[in-house]
Order: sequence, then structure tokens, then C-alpha cells
Amino acid sequence: MLFAVPHYLDPGSGSFIIQIVIASLLGLGIALRASWGKLKTIFGKKTNTESEDDNDSTDG
Amino acid sequence: MAKPEQLSASFRDPSGFLFSRGGILYRQVNRMYAEDYACLMDSGLYEKLVKIGLLIPHIETDQPPAEKESAFKIIQPERVPFISYPYEWSFSQLKDAALATLSIQKRALKVGMSLKDASAYNIQFVRGRAALIDTLSFEVYKEGKPWDAYRQFCQHFLAPLALMAYVDVRLSRLMRDYIDGIPLDLTSRLLSTRTRFNFGLLTHIHIHASAQTRYADADVKSAAGNRQMSRTAFLGLIESLENTIRKLEWKPEGTEWGHYYDITNYSEQAFENKKQLISKWVNETKPNLVLDLGANNGVFSRIAGASNVFTVSSDIDPAAVEQNYRTVKADKEQNLLPLLLDLTNPSPALGWANRERESLGQRGPADMVLALALIHHLAISNNVPLPQLAEFFAEMGKWLVIEFVPKSDSQVQKLLSSRVDIFPSYTIEGFESAFETRFRTREKVKIQESERTLYLMEAR
Repeated sequence: MLFAVPHYLDPGSGSFIIQIVIASLLGLGIALRASWGKLKTIFGKKTNTESEDDNDSTDG
Repeated sequence: MAKPEQLSASFRDPSGFLFSRGGILYRQVNRMYAEDYACLMDSGLYEKLVKIGLLIPHIETDQPPAEKESAFKIIQPERVPFISYPYEWSFSQLKDAALATLSIQKRALKVGMSLKDASAYNIQFVRGRAALIDTLSFEVYKEGKPWDAYRQFCQHFLAPLALMAYVDVRLSRLMRDYIDGIPLDLTSRLLSTRTRFNFGLLTHIHIHASAQTRYADADVKSAAGNRQMSRTAFLGLIESLENTIRKLEWKPEGTEWGHYYDITNYSEQAFENKKQLISKWVNETKPNLVLDLGANNGVFSRIAGASNVFTVSSDIDPAAVEQNYRTVKADKEQNLLPLLLDLTNPSPALGWANRERESLGQRGPADMVLALALIHHLAISNNVPLPQLAEFFAEMGKWLVIEFVPKSDSQVQKLLSSRVDIFPSYTIEGFESAFETRFRTREKVKIQESERTLYLMEAR
């Protein structure tokens, strides 16, 4: 059970619920972006996605 | 009751705690954290984060545990030269600390781990860069589980940054009152309506604050039902926070910004003379930690820094501290820590039993204190009698490099222009006799082409 995982930090009820809503919306955006990228590949356009993991800087 | 050697700030997380033995800092990892610790070490995450400077390194030791029953391992983390707190950071320091936290979280998610907390107090500036100091902040990620630390991240980072960027940079001081981050309802009220047109601030601050009010009495389990948060959604949340924070900017403005050293009473030669003297005294006294009080943008702090001495470079002006930090970043300086500090009201001891966050004095003493072009601000603008100033400086460090600025100096004249001169003892003789009780003067040099005098003193 997901909510049985013990957490020492109180996530706050409102914060817990609202982040699921916001994140789902944002996740949808990511999924759409990925599909759009695939579509562009199919039609022969180069995509410009880069792996962020290897950007070793946190500087803005 | 906590064991005598356990650090008083380290009590919230049952995964382990910090303790000190023989002057060395250790972290006990408790048995309940064994699985998460193994995952951190075996997944390659620890190695990667340490390599890029986002996490402080540690070694596993065979020290006896501080609490035998719960102990799994004892580790010795690298010691941070000077602990600083978010309310002492400039805008960009807090922004970089926020981005470092999110960057760590993204990397953790890639290997099936997640940050279980996102406290700004877990970040320190190490070798000039923001790094996580709490090795026990990671947990094994359970697919579908939302981020426990979302609220904490918004309160500790996003709220103060938004207030600093959109309302007033001085609002970072609210973090001193609200030790677990600025409440989101307060942040939402203080931010202007136009911030509601910023998607990130609308969702993570305004809507988030309303949800907190609405579900204040709700039970998480029943309110959330069986709703889960996919890994993609989780990443979306982190990226959204990252984009929101990256876009927040604060442009330092004001008369002091960047022009301070152009308006001081120094000729080029006097300025050079002062630099050479400080450099000579740093090399002679060989301090390990220098505390530059009233450092402005850090010109003189860098003299100590150039001799590889770790230097805390503090000032009351947020613009000067911001400029100082930007220089640290641009030049990749590793042993300089810019810090926002109001000496007339320095950081107090805060938190539970006033023992969680140390006061400025508790984090000292330094080996050397620099008080350059400072004394007139404290003695005249803030009315602090000279003997009290001597007392304060003697508590802050062993060596003191102090500049006496006489009344005839135009900077002092400016301070006196709007008030009655109630400072008859503010003379070079008055200064020397006040400081004599607490210090021995080792050297006294009149700065060339200037009315000012520089002293090297040693605390009695």
C-alpha cells in the first residue's frame, strides 16, 4: 500500500493532493511532447532533445 | 534525552544523526535506513553526485556508534568549513541551492531513488558551489508515490525566491522567523496578482496555498484515495519547479551596487597599500578561517582567499553579497563564502530550544577578523560604544585587522551630517584605549595618501 510507506516528513494533505493533480497535468505535457517528437522523427525532422543527466552543472 | 555528543540540530529524521567525538563529526546511519543507504551507495548515485560536487563525500569508519541499539554504520562526512543558513544567502545563492536540490532529485529518480526531504538547511556551499550535506536524504523510490518533500521544497525555496524576485529582496529575512520555510498562504498574499499569470507560481504557490487551506483537516489517505503519481508526472513536477525557479531573477540596484569602491576615500596607491598590508598580515599569522565583516563585494576577502585561506565574506547589503557571489561563480573561487549579515543584529540561535541553528558567535571564533571601513558604521550610525565593539571583536576571533576611520574623513562626515555629534570619545586615542583592554596592538600603519590607520591586533 502506497500510503503505508512511512515518512518522517509530514507531506501536508493539501500539498499531497494538489501535487498529484499538478504533476498529472505536467506529466501529460511531457507525454504529448514525446509523441510530438516521435511524429517529427517519422516525418524526417531532427529532434533537438538532449540528455539532461550529462549536463553536470546546476548553474542557471 | 539526546546523548551529550549528539548534535542538537540533528533529531528530526530517524534514519540517523550527527554526533561529534574528539572534535570530529560523524553520522550514525540507523538500521532502519540500511536498505536506502545500500541503494545510494550501490546504484552509482553517490559516486556520480560526489563527482560533480552535488553531494559531500564521506568515508565509512569503524568508530563505535553513539547509539548502539539502532546503529547500522558510522560514516565520517567531509567537514564543511563554515555552516551558513538560507537567511544569510543572497538571491542567487538560494536559487542555486534550489536548482542543486532539483538536479539531485532528477538524478536520483533515474536510478530509482528520491529525496525524502528538500530542506534548504541540507544545502551548504562547498568549494564555492551548492551541495547536499545530508547523506541520509535519499530513499528508494516507490513507483506511484508522490513527493513527500513537495511542500517543504516550495516553502524553503520557491516561496522566498518568488518574494525576493517579485516583492522585495529583503523578504528573505522572513526565513529567520519561519524556520520550516515561508508559509505558502502568506507568500500568496504578499505576491502581486500578476504572479498568477506565471504558470509555475500560479500552481506551486497560489493554488498550492488554497489546497492547503481547503484540505487542512483532511486525512491524506482518504483525500488522495487511490490516486497515484506516475514517474513521468513526478518528472514533470520537478521540471516545472526547475523552470519556474530558473526564470526568477533579481537585478541588484541601488547606489552601492558596483560603485562602492569608486566612491571611497582612497587613491589607487592607498588602496594598493591597504591590500599589501592585509596580504602581509594574513601570511604572517596564517589563519585557517577568516571572517571579513562589512566585506562589501569582497575585494579584501579575496586577499585572504588568494592565500588559500577559507574566508567568510559578509555584508549587510544584499546587492553587494549578490555581486560577491556572482564573482565566486564566474571565477570558480573555492574558498570564499559570501554571506548576508547585519552586524547590528546578527543571526541568532534559532529553532527548537534555540539549538537547531547556531548564532553567528556560536559558529566562531575565526582565526582572523577583518573589520575594514566598518567601525564608523557601528560606532556612529548604530551608536555602539567603542569598548563594546572591542568586546565583540575579541569574541569573534583571535587576530583582528581593523581600520580606524577618523571624524575628519568625509565618509564619517556624511554620517554626522544629519545628526548631532554625540561621540566625543570617537578619536584615534579613544579607539586605542578602548581596544587596549581586549587586544595587544601588534602593528599600526597609517595608510598612505589617506587619513585612515590600519591595525593588526591580537586578542588578550
